[in-house]
Amino acid sequence: MNIRWDYLLIPSFVVSFALLAASQLTFLRGSLSADLGLGMLSKSLGLQNYDALFNDEFYVRALWLTVKVSAMATVCTLLMSFPVAYVIARMRSRWAMVMLAGVVVSSFVTIVIKVYGLVVIFAADGWLNKLMLAVGLIDQPYTIIGNSTGVVVGLMQFTMGFAVLLLYSVVRTIPESLEEAATIHGASRARVFWRVILPLSLPGVIVGSLMMFNMCMGAFTSASLLGGGRIFTLPVLIQRTVIIETKYGMGATLAAVLLVSVILINLVSVFLVKRLRAARLVIA
Amino acid sequence: MNSAGTATADTRAPMPALPAAPRWRRPTFGAIAKIVWVAAAYLFLLAPMVVVIGSSLDGATVYSGVVFPPHDLTLRWYREIPAAHYRALGLSLVLAVSVACGACVLGIPAALGVVRGRLPGKSFFLAFFRAPMQIPAVVTGVAFLKLYYVLGDATGLFLNASFVGLYLGHLFVGVPYVIGTVVSVLQRFNLRLEEAALSMGASPWRTFRRVTLPTIMPGVHAGALYAFMVSFSDVPIAMFLTAPGFVTYPVELFFGIETDFNPAVLASASLVIVFSMCALLAVQRLIGLDTVVRSRR
Repeated sequence: MNIRWDYLLIPSFVVSFALLAASQLTFLRGSLSADLGLGMLSKSLGLQNYDALFNDEFYVRALWLTVKVSAMATVCTLLMSFPVAYVIARMRSRWAMVMLAGVVVSSFVTIVIKVYGLVVIFAADGWLNKLMLAVGLIDQPYTIIGNSTGVVVGLMQFTMGFAVLLLYSVVRTIPESLEEAATIHGASRARVFWRVILPLSLPGVIVGSLMMFNMCMGAFTSASLLGGGRIFTLPVLIQRTVIIETKYGMGATLAAVLLVSVILINLVSVFLVKRLRAARLVIA
Repeated sequence: MNSAGTATADTRAPMPALPAAPRWRRPTFGAIAKIVWVAAAYLFLLAPMVVVIGSSLDGATVYSGVVFPPHDLTLRWYREIPAAHYRALGLSLVLAVSVACGACVLGIPAALGVVRGRLPGKSFFLAFFRAPMQIPAVVTGVAFLKLYYVLGDATGLFLNASFVGLYLGHLFVGVPYVIGTVVSVLQRFNLRLEEAALSMGASPWRTFRRVTLPTIMPGVHAGALYAFMVSFSDVPIAMFLTAPGFVTYPVELFFGIETDFNPAVLASASLVIVFSMCALLAVQRLIGLDTVVRSRR
């Protein structure tokens, strides 16, 4: 066909480029100006914010906490969602669609509503706490607000729907005949898992995990609501610094640090995929 | 549960000639563990939403404590949904629909251009268009806030807490979804169909409208749905770009949880959950759930 499809690219490219460059460049430039109080920024540029950030134990600890909480949430989500994804992907009945729909609904409902649900479930006088008290599992009502366990649970709620859908499409790329072949040749179920399913899904799982980790690193809503003003992950800290303390310079600096760490994780992910492809571990 | 996934080690035993296969085998430990695990995961995934809907129906739910499971069923809290929630929901809906439309207008040509064009550096363009998805939403929010301040200082036109400002922020994150889903459909597209239409004398525009567009439509729908949902459920971007009196629904809810725990909030949240389910059902009818799931990425 003698249509120049290339030209179609131009309008969207211009708009996307303008939005991306304008927003990112202004905020990165903002991260170089010192805060003068009351939301005012200095005219001169310098690295003083970055200097303050990496020398202030509070900020460094927040960065470390964000990484730790995200890693925990990623591992837990992965362990919970891989079997679910596998079961749905291998189901042949119409129930597969229903189970899939449950996951999609959950990932489409805003996380704020799910946090409301979590708060209700773990309410001090809620039935779950009463049950656990009665059984003797705990000796005082357990709350998920204001501790890092709560934040991890919130992050899991945030990423799990996405994780199941992602892993579902990964498992779907592994032909079932390979598992059948291994079983026919006498491999036990565990052996099939370790020698067939795991190696074949590994590239997808690694990339998916890094995406989940990224989501957790940037997750604001659940971390903020369940952190209850006591757990400061980086996104929560950014919002507080900008909106409550009106320190736009420092807020932008924190945002820049978060952005750079997320980009680094992305690069690692791209690199890993290339290596795995080169090692012929990827079949699809 | 499907039996194909639960084949066990006893298939190793030599098969008798043609025995009457036992109709019911004792479930193995692995099979039971699998069912329990999946059930627990679903409980974790769906319980918060079930609890929200359940406790919104309960008359004994009071400001201090929420009751679940409900004791006496009532729609009382639904009548008491504050007007601010309806206003916020209205803004969210209008915003999300216009973001989805805008994302299609920008995304479809971009996807066609990337896949069909003969530009060098195709993967660069794909990575470029995907960039907004990689940026944490909080960072996008801060960046747009900062941009609007700088723009306002320079031109006197402040976009903070305006519909246009919010729209641009959401459009920025919405477009990549449409591009992603349409690209994935286009890559599977059979060019012969277009060639056939052209060789039968259809004009290029007619070919596009009658052949290309209908074929990529599932991708468009899926992308538009994602763009809609991203805008409709976003807190971190809207948080920076809204102001008191001009808030989207999730932001209204976000602040509601911190100030007062009004059970009417649970009622309006239930309405949103039901709305999402209906939207999904419509999508399932329209394009099939598998398309939505597969065309992600």
